[in-house]
Amino acid sequence: MVAQSLEIRRSSASVWGSLSGARSVATVAKYIDTTTCIGCKACEVACQEWNDLRPLATEQVGTYQTLPTLDAQYWNLIRFNELDFEGGLAWLMRKDQCMHCDDPGCLAACPAPGAIVQYENGIVDVNPDQCIGCKYCETGCPFDVPRFSRTTGKMAKCTLCVDRVSVGLEPACVKACPTGCLHFGTKEDMLVMGQTRVEQLKKDGFVQAAVYDPAGVHGTSVVTILAHGDHPEWYGLPSDPRVPFLVRVWKKFLRPFGGIAILGAVFGVVGHYMRHGPKSAYGADQDDSNLPLA
Amino acid sequence: MSTSATTPGPHLAGDPAVIVARRFEDVVVGNEISRHNLLSRLSHWAVAVSFAVAMLSGMPIWTPVFGWMAHLFGGLSVCRLVHPWAGVAFFLFSVERFFQWLRDMHFRDPDVDWFRQRATKKGRAGIDDSQVGKYNGGQKLYFWAVSLGSIGLLVSGLVMWFPLYFPPLVRQLAFVIHDLTFICFAVSLVIHVFLSTAAEPGTFVSMSRGTVTRAWARLHHPRWYREVLSGERSRPT
Repeated sequence: MVAQSLEIRRSSASVWGSLSGARSVATVAKYIDTTTCIGCKACEVACQEWNDLRPLATEQVGTYQTLPTLDAQYWNLIRFNELDFEGGLAWLMRKDQCMHCDDPGCLAACPAPGAIVQYENGIVDVNPDQCIGCKYCETGCPFDVPRFSRTTGKMAKCTLCVDRVSVGLEPACVKACPTGCLHFGTKEDMLVMGQTRVEQLKKDGFVQAAVYDPAGVHGTSVVTILAHGDHPEWYGLPSDPRVPFLVRVWKKFLRPFGGIAILGAVFGVVGHYMRHGPKSAYGADQDDSNLPLA
Repeated sequence: MSTSATTPGPHLAGDPAVIVARRFEDVVVGNEISRHNLLSRLSHWAVAVSFAVAMLSGMPIWTPVFGWMAHLFGGLSVCRLVHPWAGVAFFLFSVERFFQWLRDMHFRDPDVDWFRQRATKKGRAGIDDSQVGKYNGGQKLYFWAVSLGSIGLLVSGLVMWFPLYFPPLVRQLAFVIHDLTFICFAVSLVIHVFLSTAAEPGTFVSMSRGTVTRAWARLHHPRWYREVLSGERSRPT
C-alpha cells in the first residue's frame, strides 16, 4: 500500500520521486537486538494480524523456525540459526524481513513506474496497483526478501508498517515484542542505542559485537545488533550486501547504450540514403520480357 | 511448367502465368522472377510480426523512455503477459524459417569476397558483385545472426520469466544477455528494413507479392539471375 501522507524520495522506473523539499522528515529505523531475542515469535503473529496475512502450512525441517523462508503471505520470520560454537551450540536468532535499504536493489531493478517507492522517511514499499509481477525485484535484492504471490500475481514484502508509522505509531512487531529487543525511532537514535548496546556486549565478552548497518547499500532502515559482528553470515546475513553489479550494468549502462545505438542506426541509414541514395540501375524498371533467356 | 512459365511477352500482375509462378521460386515469367513462394513469405512475416509484438511489448518493460508503447497493448501489466508468449512464438517461427531458408544460406567463397570488397573499396564504384547468388554475404550474415540471436533471447528470456529456478548470478547475467542481444537485433532491424525498402527499390515486393523484376535480379543478384535463366535452379515440382 502507498501511504498518501508521505512524500516519495525515490520511485522505480522514474527519474524523480515527488519530494517537494518543503519539509524535512527524519529517516526512521527499526532496532533489532538479536542478543535479547528469545524466539517467541510474538512479532510474527503481530505482523500477520496487523497486515491481515493468511496463515500458511509449514514443513518440519527440524528447527523451531515457522517457515523455511519468507513468503508473500509471511513478511517477518525469526530464523533459528544453529551453529557449533566453541564446543557448544550457538542459537543465533535473527528477525528476517525487508531491510529497507537506503539504496534499494529491488527499486533499482523494478521496471514498472511507481511499483516500488522509497518514502521520505526511508521506508521502501510496494504499490500493488503498479506492480506487474515480473519478479525483477527478487534479482535486485541483495537480502533475498521480496516474494512473488501466485495468488495475486504481485510481489509482497514487509512495509515497515508504513501505514502505522505515517500516523505516529510503531510497527506492529515492535509493539508486540516482550523482551524489548525491538525498538523503533529515528535512524540516528537507533544507531546511538545500538552503539550503547554494543559497548555493553563487548564488556560482557562479545568483543566482536557490532551494529549491522551495511555501507554497500548506504545503510539500512533496520539496525541489527550482532554479538558476532565479524560473522554476519552466521545469522544468514550477507557480509557485504550491494545492489548486484550486473543489475547496475543493465540499468545504468545498457539502457542508455542501447538507446544511443538504436538512434545511431536510424541516423546512420538516413545519412546513408542522403549521401548515396537508393541503389538502382538505370532502367531498373524497364521491361526485359523480350530479352533472350540466356 | 517451365515452358509456360518462361513464355516471353508482357505479363501483368493478374496474369494466370504469374499467379502460377508465385507458387514456386526461381521461375521467370515475362519481366518478373518469383523469388519467395507463399510459404517463404508467410514464414518471414510470421517471424516479423511476432518479433514486432515482442519488441513493442518488451521495450516499455526495458526502459520507461518507451513506456508509451505499453498503451498499444493496454498497459504495462498486459505487456508483461504478452511479451514472453510473443517471444516464444517468435522463436518457434524462427526455427521454422531457419530450416526453410538454410539451403541457400551456407557461406561460400563469393560471400567472403563480398565482405572483402566492402571492407577494402570505397563507395559503390569498383565493386564487382557478379558472383552474388540468391543471397549476398550480408544477407547470410543477418540470417545467422538472427538465428543465433533468437536462441540467446529465448534462453535468457526463459531465465527472466522463471527466475526462481536459477541462481542469482545466472539471473543477473540473463538480463545483460537479453538486453545486449536485443540491442543487436534492434540495430540490425533498422538496417534490414532500410535495405529492403528505401535503399534498394524493388526489394520489398519480393516479400509481399513474391516477385522481383529481371533488372532488379540482374543488379542485386547477378549469379542467381543467370542460374534462374539457364534453368540451373529449377526444381521438379
